Amino acid sequence: MLFNSLDFFIFLPIVFITYWFIFYKKNQVQNLFILSASYIFYGLWDWRFLFLILASTVVDFFVGQAIHSSDSDRKRKLWLWISVIFNIGLLGFFKYYNFFVDSWADLLSIFGYELKSTWTLQIILPVGISFYTFQTMSYSLDIYYKRLTPTKDFISFATFVSFFPQLVAGPIERASNLLSQITSKRVFNYTQCTDGLKLILWGLFKKVVIADSIAPIVDDIFANYGEYPASTLILGVSLFSFQVYGDFSGYSDIAIGTAKLFGIELMSNFKFPTFSRNVAEYWQRWHVSLSTWFRHYVYIPLGGNRVGKLKSIRNIIIIFLVSGFWHGANWTFIVWGAIHAALYIPVFLMGRNRIYMNNVVAENRWFPSIIEISQILLTFFLVTFSRIFFRSESITDAFGFLKQIYHNFTFESYSHPLGYRMIDYFILLALFVLYEFKIRRDERSPFKFKSKIVRFIIYTLVVLGMLLFYDDQIDRSFIYFQF
Amino acid sequence: MKKLILKSLLYFFLILVILEVLVRVFHLGKDTPTRFLDDRQVEKWVPNQNGFNVTGNRRQNFSEFHINSSGFNSYREFTPTKNNIEVALIGDSFIEGFHQNYYNSIGKKAENALPGIEIYEYGYAGYDFADQLHLVHSYKKQFDLIDHLILGIKFSNDLTRGEYKVAKGRLALESPIHRLLKKSKLIVYCKSIGLLEPPQELMYRLINILKPKREVLPINDEEALRIRKENEKAYLANFKSLVAKYGYDKERYTLLLDSKITSPIFLSYLEKNDFNYIDFSQSFENTNRSTTLIYDRHWNNHGRELIAKLISKYIQKKDLKTK
Repeated sequence: MLFNSLDFFIFLPIVFITYWFIFYKKNQVQNLFILSASYIFYGLWDWRFLFLILASTVVDFFVGQAIHSSDSDRKRKLWLWISVIFNIGLLGFFKYYNFFVDSWADLLSIFGYELKSTWTLQIILPVGISFYTFQTMSYSLDIYYKRLTPTKDFISFATFVSFFPQLVAGPIERASNLLSQITSKRVFNYTQCTDGLKLILWGLFKKVVIADSIAPIVDDIFANYGEYPASTLILGVSLFSFQVYGDFSGYSDIAIGTAKLFGIELMSNFKFPTFSRNVAEYWQRWHVSLSTWFRHYVYIPLGGNRVGKLKSIRNIIIIFLVSGFWHGANWTFIVWGAIHAALYIPVFLMGRNRIYMNNVVAENRWFPSIIEISQILLTFFLVTFSRIFFRSESITDAFGFLKQIYHNFTFESYSHPLGYRMIDYFILLALFVLYEFKIRRDERSPFKFKSKIVRFIIYTLVVLGMLLFYDDQIDRSFIYFQF
Repeated sequence: MKKLILKSLLYFFLILVILEVLVRVFHLGKDTPTRFLDDRQVEKWVPNQNGFNVTGNRRQNFSEFHINSSGFNSYREFTPTKNNIEVALIGDSFIEGFHQNYYNSIGKKAENALPGIEIYEYGYAGYDFADQLHLVHSYKKQFDLIDHLILGIKFSNDLTRGEYKVAKGRLALESPIHRLLKKSKLIVYCKSIGLLEPPQELMYRLINILKPKREVLPINDEEALRIRKENEKAYLANFKSLVAKYGYDKERYTLLLDSKITSPIFLSYLEKNDFNYIDFSQSFENTNRSTTLIYDRHWNNHGRELIAKLISKYIQKKDLKTK
């Protein structure tokens, strides 16, 4: 069930009203209801994969208790490994099995051994597997690092793993944030609910108006890159930057907003990464739940930046490569991760990786300075360049794309594949960037205006925008579902 | 909780009201003329209506229509006389031409190229060959005064029946509930951009949820070919039946068709039996510019120009004389 489908807009009010009118009295009842709703939500996509979620839930529930009750470090480590091997095993089989088989065959072919029959399987990637396996693993890891006491309530834990707003594409929550809220009784809060509705509206706008309307252009340019000049290819990859941002941050906003309706606060996942002043700031603002996951559970255990410059660089390279590989079983994602590592390391070496942690661009000012604008444009350019690899089907395509830019470095105007006016999209994106700049201080309040009339006008414009750019012909699924 | 629900409903309602106003102000939704069945059982538009047809979410195609006193979209009234030369174009939405300004229609373009000849456009969305011949038959006196008739025909669509019957499905669009819904430009707009399709599909899914699913067997190439051949035979039989029932003056009537999408059986039948036709396939193939609109498959200005050129050349060749 997609957040931008009619099914969800029937499902959500039913679950919301039933939750607050019937199942609100006891925490256990609230959780049991949310768990059932979550399983229905996921089961409507493919009920067979519910068993995977259940298996991951059962394993980490008992592993968490076993780690906690183990008296020796060896036993604790052993239980942790069981959790990690099980979850990574699930991911490895469903997501990476074919990739490893193919890569092995390719490697052998380099040495002259041709594998006659490859062992690839027809495997469907279960939606959300990369997200919930990481979430359950974080639970066991937190218990292992003694940051968390395991819960004895299986229903609460199962609700934590499968909470439907963030089940299929995050934010990847930590048990310390989400589980603690799930184990406490939620009380209806008017302001929290209205904030949730506003986030849902803004998330839908980003998905329907920004991401979906641009998608046909990006698809056309990447599918036919060999026929286009550099100007079109640069346009295509730049638009892809907006598409993937609108798509994923839109999803995250809807997820956070939906969770608010049930009295749950999820962590922020996007903090206006478009206005990042360097790549380090970009990673503090883009897919925050994943980058902090890798920071907490990979980078810091490896020693982080307290182990000397060389080892720190090694750690940075590791987390970016792993992060790239997390996105998909394709060398393109690994190269994408490597590019980001290469972009991050100079910032790290210059000691500028944490300077923008607690402020936003043009803090206390209306407009950014020329230097800030240059920094933002440079960061956007670098990040967008890396997305050539992120978006291409294969490494060959990515290099082909780059080669075409180099060899055909000319400007030609581009016509929309369906013949629509391109100017509409440029105006739309310009207005979107300006509006996001206006609200850049708080990613959780997209309509923070004192005047009720102004707010109302913006709600209406947002809905009007959705009508003006709605396209019933396009694939409305979310990009990050494939991860 | 009650406050949340009430306030959400209030906001929802207010937003709908403002959107209705905005859709009207910016004319995003199309005007839908009223149709009716006249006393001769001919379906047409209620005479003397004006409005604008809009295509695309952002008004990408915007055109004015004018329904004349005969109930068809045209820049002129249809007043055939013995003294003048008139040509009638009869067909479906391609001839009706809501997707173009009524003063820039195929008929107008042809008329500009044919001084002294009046072109009457009897176009109506959904008209098939049965509708067309029934119209001519029902208004025999008027059509007898017209010097030449050109009937647009698409073989795979327009010959599915061998006898005229009132199309109740189209007229159902004039039911009180439809007429009421049409009053809201926002609803018309949402329908035209496909926003109302998901709820309709959902309703369909819910209605059919308990019905046993019919297994759809894949058809192989041989079977598909056999079905196609059978259909072609049936369509040809329908053509013969319609011609026999409503009459067809081979001297005065000409078909307008695209031979590329017309069955060879039908084409050879037409040739063997001296049915005249104008084939526009070559003209469309020879041009390197698009002949259709972006948002639907109707002819764009270039396509209409090519059709008008072909018609005017054909009429010039015919060298029509007054009756």
